[in-house]
Amino acid sequence: MRDRFNRTPFWSRVIVVLALIGATVVFNGDDYVTSVAVSVATYAMLGLGLNIVVGYAGLLDLGYAAFFAIGAYTSALLMTQAHWTFFATLPFAVLFTGTAGAILGYPTLRLRSDYLAIVTLGFGEMTRITFNNWEYAGGPNGILNIPWPNFFGYELSTQADFFVVGLVLLAIAMIFAHHLDHSRLGRGWVAIKDDEFAAESVGVPSLRLKLLAYVMGGMWGGLAGAFFATRIGAIDPTSFTFQLSVLVLIVIVLGGTGSLPGVLLGALVVVGLPEVLRQFADQRLLFFAVLLVGMMLLRPQGLWPRIRRKPKPFYGLQEEEPEDVAARILREHQAQIVERDLRHTAAGHKSSSAGDVLLEVHGVTQQFGGLRAVDNVSFQVRRGEIFSIIGPNGGGKTTLFNCITGVQRPRRGRILFDGRSVVGLRPHVVVARGIGRTFQGIRLFKNMAVFENVMVGLYPRHRTMTWQAMLHTPGERKDELRTLQESRRWLSFVGLESLAGRLATELSYADQRRVEIARALAAHPHLVLFDEPAAGMNPTEKLELMGIIRKIRDLGITVVLIEHDMSLVMRVSDRIAVLDHGVLIALDKPAAIQQNPAVIEAYLGREDDELGAVQEA
Amino acid sequence: MGVFLQYTVIGLTVGSFYALVALGYTIVYGIIRLINFAQGDLSMVGAFLGWTLLVSFGFEHLPIYIALVIAFVIPMIGTAVINIGILQFAYKPLLRRSLLAILITALGMSLLLQNASELIWGPAIQAYPPNLLPLSGFFVGPVHVTYVQIALVIASLLLMGGLVAFIQGTTMGTAMRALAVDHDAARLMGINVDAVIRIAFVLGAMLAAASGVMLGIYYVQIQFTMGFLLGLRAFTAAVLGGIGNIPGAMAGGLLIGLLEAYTTGYLSGTWEDVVVFGVLITVLIVKPTGLFGERVAERM
Repeated sequence: MRDRFNRTPFWSRVIVVLALIGATVVFNGDDYVTSVAVSVATYAMLGLGLNIVVGYAGLLDLGYAAFFAIGAYTSALLMTQAHWTFFATLPFAVLFTGTAGAILGYPTLRLRSDYLAIVTLGFGEMTRITFNNWEYAGGPNGILNIPWPNFFGYELSTQADFFVVGLVLLAIAMIFAHHLDHSRLGRGWVAIKDDEFAAESVGVPSLRLKLLAYVMGGMWGGLAGAFFATRIGAIDPTSFTFQLSVLVLIVIVLGGTGSLPGVLLGALVVVGLPEVLRQFADQRLLFFAVLLVGMMLLRPQGLWPRIRRKPKPFYGLQEEEPEDVAARILREHQAQIVERDLRHTAAGHKSSSAGDVLLEVHGVTQQFGGLRAVDNVSFQVRRGEIFSIIGPNGGGKTTLFNCITGVQRPRRGRILFDGRSVVGLRPHVVVARGIGRTFQGIRLFKNMAVFENVMVGLYPRHRTMTWQAMLHTPGERKDELRTLQESRRWLSFVGLESLAGRLATELSYADQRRVEIARALAAHPHLVLFDEPAAGMNPTEKLELMGIIRKIRDLGITVVLIEHDMSLVMRVSDRIAVLDHGVLIALDKPAAIQQNPAVIEAYLGREDDELGAVQEA
Repeated sequence: MGVFLQYTVIGLTVGSFYALVALGYTIVYGIIRLINFAQGDLSMVGAFLGWTLLVSFGFEHLPIYIALVIAFVIPMIGTAVINIGILQFAYKPLLRRSLLAILITALGMSLLLQNASELIWGPAIQAYPPNLLPLSGFFVGPVHVTYVQIALVIASLLLMGGLVAFIQGTTMGTAMRALAVDHDAARLMGINVDAVIRIAFVLGAMLAAASGVMLGIYYVQIQFTMGFLLGLRAFTAAVLGGIGNIPGAMAGGLLIGLLEAYTTGYLSGTWEDVVVFGVLITVLIVKPTGLFGERVAERM
């Protein structure tokens, strides 16, 4: 029975549960109980919105009351000044707060998270003070005589009426929040929360996603605000204090950040408890403060934690035909590249498959203080080759990768990819252009299963819009299924299909590196940059890695490799560049590099262990 | 011009209080990268402890110097003990967890201090003895300067001087500076990291308590909610000066004090907070490292 319930779509479950609650309260509760229930619904709506910001995206917002206020004032002003009905004002209240979220979020979301908390706090207080000083909106007295909602001629005026309206709005808010959480956006948010740098570097537009969380959170707050205004009938700035922001935060911390049933439970406790314990009403904030700290220390996941169901990899996918996976990927990849080329030419650029040179690094210099990490380095990577960069530690190899992938902006020099400059682009844009990468220290998303990690890598290739994700449209479902399917193919490409459902951190070191490779490939890059992929691998694993690298090249993907393992480099590379102290001292075929006096001297001069390796290999 | 200078005097006085609280933020942030939201509320607790000693216990009737020493030293020790308690009980277990968890806990501690104080000292406004220090003053040209102002500013300067001497001159101070740069390296050099963190919390609380008592003496009225805005202004000061930067926090405090005095004087008191928040947000967006450069890097 329970199982069957869990298998029905989320929206139907929400409707059943809320309808049951609604019927129970409306038919059994007196006016007092019902009015408390309306307040619970209001706080739950606020909690749902803040939950998107804090629970999903991991951003601490201490000024959430501002959105509540803006929604309430927008709706109240439209109703009292323009004489609109409540339901007509709703879209505007939601739209307005969403816009306010965008305006506030755009400049501030670049800030580190603790500063963001303070900025939002300041924004919340400023909003309240502004309403307090704004004569048109009644100043400190606020807006009075806000009419009741009118529903096709029927005036909603009893607490039971409001409760029904509140539940309907709550149901909508819950269903949309659930859909967002289970879409590519939800996956992106989890990735950002885990490791923002890695997420951005594999193609997740982190700023846009954070902004989106902010806007969504604002919209939910606006909805709650409009509802609050018509229900109370009069609003003034004292309803929108810092205290309210904190209470909503307590709702979600108590219930469990990221958990939808948790939000309902949290709202019930925060609103209901002071009603039950009337005699201690004066100390309710003290009590909540103790609760907040206690929860963080003893039960940080909350009373009703977000359930991370054991991820079922490839759930609902049909078995693929027993066609050779590599052949299939090759076909898909080529189709992708053709498609991208078409878009490319349509946008008025040169066809990308033309020309022999894929990546051109020209006079790139990067400086940290007095240290030149990369000093006037120039080279060209040809289409379809395996190109290695070697050199002693601190030679500037990773810095060069960071310059190419948009993590850093080089001081001087040009970097052309496919004939177009990539300098100054944000990392996720570079990924979308067709450059994938892995990291020297493994940076997988720890709270995600292996196949979900690879799905994050597919982020740049999603073709659905946010509204589709919110409504969980058939198009979006198809897109998700395709993503799932591709993640499976890439995992089987690197030989990890059987481990797809494991958490990334449960895998061996070598396997984690392979997941990173699959994640980088999933975006269908023209060029992949691997930063020491063989580090920590045993000889067998290195051999397998070499096989994978060759297979990648056979797909038509160009590979640039930073590696210390000389035998691997010498055997797999078409050409090798040697960086020493940021300077390119040699660039040639492997055999020639081994004989190159400058290279030998560079290693000899430092009596480096790698010398032996260079000559042995 | 005379009016302007008058505002300047007021601004510098108030600013020196902010500077003290800001120093607490900056020291703690410099070492464990935590915005101790409770910093402003510690100041409030200090003010109430001082009030309890002076008014409830009647120490205001003692000779003025003895009364002042008691009214400063005991609250400073008391809040230091409280802050150590907060550190050990609430922050310590969370230091290895996410930034979000520890920020929420810090917020909870601020709320806890406020509401516990309300429970102990009541929601009403309490008054410091109004005649503790002579209210009179003298004129420098058109500007009226009171002895209270001079005494409080001197006391703040002494505290700041003491702090700088401690951080620059002692082994513990050197350890603090080392820790601000690199925790692991400091630990490997044999520095007792926990002890240094505790010292930072002690110093932060003592400065906050001293500023709380000063605010009580200067404004006479104190209330349990005073810590919230005080803390925000002081945090703004710390950010303005570049967080982790000690001279920066002092300068930031004075700047915020001046800004507040000019806004209140020339504009109106209702906009004072909007201006302070506006400055905070602008600085964070335009130059998050502050006017004088911060001394910490974000941990990745």
